[in-house]
Amino acid sequence: MRALVIDDSRAMRRIVTGILEGLGYEVQQAGDGREGLDVLDTGWIPDLVCVDWNMPVMDGLQFVSAVRSNPAWRSVTIMMVTSESEHTQIVRALAAGAHEYVIKPFTADAIRDKLALLGLLPEEAVL
Amino acid sequence: MTEFDTRFEDTGERRRTSDAPLSIHDLLDGETVQSIAQEAWSALVGDDEFLVPLPGGLPDDALSSWVEIVGPWTGTVVLTCGRSTAEALSRALLKEHAPPVLEPEDIEDALGELANVVGGNVKAVLPGPSVLGLPEVGSAPTAGSPADTCRVDLLWRAQSLTISVQGAAGALTDPHENNQNEVPL
Repeated sequence: MRALVIDDSRAMRRIVTGILEGLGYEVQQAGDGREGLDVLDTGWIPDLVCVDWNMPVMDGLQFVSAVRSNPAWRSVTIMMVTSESEHTQIVRALAAGAHEYVIKPFTADAIRDKLALLGLLPEEAVL
Repeated sequence: MTEFDTRFEDTGERRRTSDAPLSIHDLLDGETVQSIAQEAWSALVGDDEFLVPLPGGLPDDALSSWVEIVGPWTGTVVLTCGRSTAEALSRALLKEHAPPVLEPEDIEDALGELANVVGGNVKAVLPGPSVLGLPEVGSAPTAGSPADTCRVDLLWRAQSLTISVQGAAGALTDPHENNQNEVPL
């Protein structure tokens, strides 16, 4: 399975990438929403995108809207991973087309649990 | 619910322009800030990493990271520690994903992300709607009025760090600072 991790923090990209690779994902990274769209434009379509909210150039909400407006990317599951924890923000993200929402700080188990809910745990991680 | 509905959702918050500016002390206390920071440390730095509420001196080479909050209360959440503490924090945060040699950019990035996580959760306990800015790193921004600053002094692995939730300069004036404008009776 493939995942795209989008976060302007290099540290957070490394942490989320490490968790996903540990579960068996093949991972690519991007530093903002625009870079994330550039990855999708190459035809490398992930099963999962983990995207931060507050980023320069293109934020996570704009990225979600852009992905949802392109039928070719309809299969992509989007999980927002962000420190934006207000209820109204969560509602906005889900209304824009995100499937799940993880609030920072998170643990590796929290990510794993969300993926299990989404049916996106690779087989090797379930065993 | 549409994006329009959520953007303009009635949060029940109503303030008149004549209302006195909100002071951070009306909204949260040091225990809340410490609790938010401890949750971030436990999840990101390590399960058994504890922040102890004890004051300690910051070294001369202190480094700060901060995020701005703009809303009914406007100010910044600032995390400050020595550079060696920042490097140790970065290694703890990245764990096995840390590169063999941490570049200054890696340290600033990690410290900025910690401020981002703490700031985002501080924002959640403040009245909204508020907007969270992007993290910045460098010398700490000028503090506003002491009457609008909530600072906690902590020790992590016996090293000092501070977290300050401070109002924007000029947002709230300490009444004691304006005594010169009072007309003696």
